[in-house]
Amino acid sequence: MAREYDHLFKLLIIGDSGVGKSSLLLRFADNTFSGNYITTIGVDFKIRTVEIDGDKVKLQIWDTAGQERFRTITSTYYRGTHGVIVVYDVTSGESFANVKRWLHEIDQNLRVVSRILVGNKNDAPDQKVVLTEDAQRFADQMGIQLFETSAKDNINVEEMFMAITRLVLRTKKELKERPTDTVIIRPRQKPKKSKCC
Amino acid sequence: MVPGSKTSDFVSNLFRATDQVGKKRGGFEEFHWLSKYNSGSAQPHDEKEEIGSESLLLDSPELAVPRQSIAKGATPIAARESVIRYQMAMKEDDYTITEVIRVFVGTWNVNGQAPGASLADWLASDVEPPDIYAIGFQELDLSKEAFLFNDTPREDEWRFAVTNSLHPKAKYRRIALVRLVGMMLLVFVREPYAPFVQSVATETVGTGIMGKLGNKGGVCVRLDLHRTSICFVNSHLAAHVEEYDRRNQDFHDICSRASFTFHTTPPSPSRSIKDHDQVYWLGDLNYRITDLDPRLVKELVDAENYKPILECDQLKIQHRMKNIFVGFKEGEINFRPTYKYDTGTDNWDSSEKNRAPAWCDRILWKGDQIKQQHYRSHPQLCISDHKPVSAVFLSEIRVVDEVKYRKIHEEVMKKLDKLENEFLPQVMVDNTEVIFDVLRFLEPQSKELIIANTGQVPVQFEFIKKLDDTSYCKDWLHIEPFTGFIKPGEKCDIKLEVYVDKKSACKLNSGQDKLYDILVLHLEGGKDIFITVTGTYERSCFGSSIETLVYVTVPIREVPIGKLMELENSKDTPQSQPYAIPKEIWFLVDHLYRYGLKQQHLFEHPGLHHEVIQIRNWLDNGSSDPLPGSVHSVAEALLLLLESTAEPIIPYNLHNVCLGASSNYLQCKQIVMQLSEHTKNVFLYLCAFLQELLSHSADNELDAKTIATLFGAIFLRDPPRSRSDMAARSRANQQTLDRKKANFVYHFLVNDQSELIGCS
Repeated sequence: MAREYDHLFKLLIIGDSGVGKSSLLLRFADNTFSGNYITTIGVDFKIRTVEIDGDKVKLQIWDTAGQERFRTITSTYYRGTHGVIVVYDVTSGESFANVKRWLHEIDQNLRVVSRILVGNKNDAPDQKVVLTEDAQRFADQMGIQLFETSAKDNINVEEMFMAITRLVLRTKKELKERPTDTVIIRPRQKPKKSKCC
Repeated sequence: MVPGSKTSDFVSNLFRATDQVGKKRGGFEEFHWLSKYNSGSAQPHDEKEEIGSESLLLDSPELAVPRQSIAKGATPIAARESVIRYQMAMKEDDYTITEVIRVFVGTWNVNGQAPGASLADWLASDVEPPDIYAIGFQELDLSKEAFLFNDTPREDEWRFAVTNSLHPKAKYRRIALVRLVGMMLLVFVREPYAPFVQSVATETVGTGIMGKLGNKGGVCVRLDLHRTSICFVNSHLAAHVEEYDRRNQDFHDICSRASFTFHTTPPSPSRSIKDHDQVYWLGDLNYRITDLDPRLVKELVDAENYKPILECDQLKIQHRMKNIFVGFKEGEINFRPTYKYDTGTDNWDSSEKNRAPAWCDRILWKGDQIKQQHYRSHPQLCISDHKPVSAVFLSEIRVVDEVKYRKIHEEVMKKLDKLENEFLPQVMVDNTEVIFDVLRFLEPQSKELIIANTGQVPVQFEFIKKLDDTSYCKDWLHIEPFTGFIKPGEKCDIKLEVYVDKKSACKLNSGQDKLYDILVLHLEGGKDIFITVTGTYERSCFGSSIETLVYVTVPIREVPIGKLMELENSKDTPQSQPYAIPKEIWFLVDHLYRYGLKQQHLFEHPGLHHEVIQIRNWLDNGSSDPLPGSVHSVAEALLLLLESTAEPIIPYNLHNVCLGASSNYLQCKQIVMQLSEHTKNVFLYLCAFLQELLSHSADNELDAKTIATLFGAIFLRDPPRSRSDMAARSRANQQTLDRKKANFVYHFLVNDQSELIGCS
């Protein structure tokens, strides 16, 4: 009997409250969407198995509470994480401005990790306030891949999760190829002083 | 590929159960408060329609099974791989297309001869080149060496002859060669098909002498071409006209004894001949013509009137009686019998035996979607006493459409993932923000929380520690039960009790702690839920420090909280004029002085809780009424007041010094002189009062040692210790320490302290 999976990765979804972290997970894991907003009070996970270049990858995707008051607690769930999905809401400038804080939080808790930036709710152009160009420039500065998604209309969700999984898989394979006695530290992106935060 | 019945049962049970569970899960009536969640994750079924992909619904045979068996099983995903394989097998038609291939099957009993000329007349006589060749020989070598050592030069000779005589219009790759004594089977496929040939295996079965040896029997090759399993069997069955029963037996022995094993890791189960989509059976089956005069047979053959002869063909007869080759077909025979000729000629056997001709050499097949195109002999080849026979089939094989396969495979995986997610523990908590009203010192309050298991598996829950906390909740909070087990559809009531006592009051008073806690409710193997507990604490003189109280000249409730926190935390002395000792201590002691000096068992009898609360209110709010409660309650209130301060009268940093000096009054006095002014005042004031109390020992029956022990524990409260410290302390050790504390206080109860008071 073949093995159930070749790799088991833990992904973490973080970002401000209400940006659609749970919706992204629900769309990816169960292919469903609910318009009713329920705040995540705690941390939840779902699994999904994908195949990437013949490798069976089992993803355990953790969805965290975005509320400020839970931030110290949620930071304890970073341990063992292979990839982090930082989500903002393209219709909320504030949630985008807070991305920096979330990235900082990753730096404080994890050393080797793949990251991806996600602008969710990209389905109502008239309400969009975070311009793609701005987000892209910021993502380039930070050296992160950017995805604009809609959990509601199922746009780019699958692609985004596959992209982060690929990143994690690549990191793992790179680590394997190098001698074991060297420690790999992700090169820190030194962002130029930006005016927004 | 047909999966085993056990797998099939298991899988159908699994899917059926989950479908049932999904449909029946109406259990929400009991949890009205859950209704607001219903549109959320709890009801994926309406959504399913929306997705509308019918192929997502995995079909399963109707088999009743109780959902409990799934719910109890640790994980239904254990057999995930086999479930996927089963599902993919069930859906094979959805992702495979059929392709027709040309299969050439040939058989020849070569009577131990070496190949002379080209075999092209036999193997390449058609215009179209075949896609697969299966070529079988019998009596390749009749020598004793071949029989005893299974070693013969003929193998290479014939292999070479065959390889050189394959159809010239195509390139072939040899897939397998298997030989047992004189029986040899070669299988070739055209080059383009070679990458799609998998799981090739060979097998030999000897049914000759003793029913075991290889002078008779069969050799087999099996393979998977794309998604179709194919098996070729070349057999040489028992000889002699009358021995058809033996031949039948040989056939059955080959069927039952041929077992293909695969050298894979992990090992896959072995297969027998019948476990194949297509079986081609060839060989010298040796069935003869009975009940017909050989001369008549020859006449009929010459007239090409085969039908009456075939009526007497043993194979046809046995096949019709279903003694052999059940499920197999044979094409119409339109060629002369292939046995027995004078070697090198087309003439019937001219030996003394004058055998009747027979169709010893045959080809049969089993499987759907196989059409025989040719069935013939090749009389041109005459080095043997048999003529070679061949058949060409147009056979449908299933070829995987990679795009469709990946899509369906992904769907199956998604469905299983969804199933796995549905089997994660799920609960609903009726309230994740528990808000308490105003909380007061020593007055407990409790609230209930309902945890309902809304998932499909039993849930083991536990409130767990977060960050670096030592406990799963603050010390003023108590959770009952803090861990438990809930069956699906059932619920558990959790009691949250908040109780501020002498230990926790000081931190709340100083603002070091707040009535705020986030609890982490952990589901084993599942998610965590955060529950916030908040409340407002009404500050009291209990838990306030002596330094603060001396500056509070009005009832504490009249002092703004900010001011109190400032007093608690400031190191500088405030401007206002302080009392010598806290007025609260004075009120209590004064009351005892007036009404309790002669009271027996003072400080020994407990007070009444509600009276202590009344005294607390009287002290905190101020009142013109007399101090309520009995002297015992007042005495208890005094002890509580002294016990609930952040630091005891003898501060923790002097604790060990005091214990060391406890036998020496002079040293003890010196230490007391080092105390801060107000603390020293309180200490001496209380000692003076206690001396007064002891002067009435005739009435109150108190003795200095008892009082010293009691107040020793209060004045010299043990510093907070880690658990390991506590464990290290033996009981005997603790008794020694308690005695030292009592000794320390005892000095001040029996000696005159006017000199100390004078100093202040």
